[in-house]
Amino acid sequence: MKSFLGLLIALVAINTNLYSAEAGMPQLDPTYWASQAFWLILVFTILYIAISKFYLPKIKDNLDNRENKIKEDLDNANIFKEQSEAKAKEYDAILENAKKEVSRIHFDSKNILDKNIQSKKVAMEKEIEKEILKAQKEILDLKKNSISSIQTISGSIVSNIIENILGDKLNESSIKATVDDISKKNINKYL
Amino acid sequence: MQQFTVHRIGPEIKIAGIDLSFTNASLFMVISASIILLFLFLGSKEKKIIPDKIQLITEMFYSFVAKMISDTAGTKAKPFFPFIFSLFMFVLICNMVGMLPYSFTVTSHIIVTLVMALFIFVAVTIIGFLKHGFKYLSIFVPSGVPAVLLPLITIIEIISYLSRPVSLSVRLFANMMAGHTMLKVFGGFVVSLGILGGWLPLSFSVALTGLEILVAFLQAYVFAILTCIYLNDALNLHH
Repeated sequence: MKSFLGLLIALVAINTNLYSAEAGMPQLDPTYWASQAFWLILVFTILYIAISKFYLPKIKDNLDNRENKIKEDLDNANIFKEQSEAKAKEYDAILENAKKEVSRIHFDSKNILDKNIQSKKVAMEKEIEKEILKAQKEILDLKKNSISSIQTISGSIVSNIIENILGDKLNESSIKATVDDISKKNINKYL
Repeated sequence: MQQFTVHRIGPEIKIAGIDLSFTNASLFMVISASIILLFLFLGSKEKKIIPDKIQLITEMFYSFVAKMISDTAGTKAKPFFPFIFSLFMFVLICNMVGMLPYSFTVTSHIIVTLVMALFIFVAVTIIGFLKHGFKYLSIFVPSGVPAVLLPLITIIEIISYLSRPVSLSVRLFANMMAGHTMLKVFGGFVVSLGILGGWLPLSFSVALTGLEILVAFLQAYVFAILTCIYLNDALNLHH
């Protein structure tokens, strides 16, 4: 342990020259002042030129690029937002128009249908009326015709009845006249 | 203090009798600059809209420095952004590289920080005079001061203005040197107290390393923000 420690101290002493050069501050020794100043100016000038001509413009460019890109992206986003809003408005307008169109078409077709139905109804009614009139006329004709038939039939029935009851034949024309007379009295009840 | 010694690497370079040899300090300046350039290269290589980690860190540094400048010096200081950014990155990475064991802390040398501070001082003064002419001297005469106190205040202002490079350079240098010296002292305690008593200074060393990393960042920030403030004084004359 002791020998190891001694070795360590010896090594450190040799390597760092620990116990030598203790006299004063080397900074105040002017031997290499000129050299240091010269090399400092040389190295720093090269460094300054390299930095100011090559690296700083590059870094600045890059930072500006990024800033511009962010700004551009934000602007684009705004433009797209506006565009999408415009599109949404357009869509709403189209929807509104379509709704109006639908209601208009609905209304129109309803009107047309109504008109159609109305005209058909009118035509139908006219036809029905015509038919009715025709039927009434027919009925009237039938009635008128039936009166003479009824008179003939009732005349023959009366002559038959009289013949059967009395066993005698009466004058056809007198019977007819009587039937005509009676039917004339009562015909108004049925016509 | 061996960690602060500067020694020559490679051949001796002498121009007009001045020794400009490549030293370990120069080496670590080159290493720090290379790290910054590599980091920025990787961070700006791909221009992604959604950044990856290294790009994000690069951009964070960029916006951090940009915000610091616009907060302290306003929009007029925009042309000086590359300089402040380079300065901040250089000081920060030099400080951080210095935190690695066996490395060399470039900013722990007064000459290095002094050169930077003097450059900033001279540049700011020139900018001030170019922008405002002789009206720039009104920086030494604050408004709303009683006439009796004015000579005194002006002298104080001049002294404080002239001491800017000293305070700026010594602040960084002293902070870095003190931190590293303290770490070394505690490291020395660990060795001298051995395996039985060394644990306490070792734990201190660990804590101090954390603190030093904070100081390394903080001093780079302070250096950069003080530059911004001096620049603000030169650009926006508001006294």
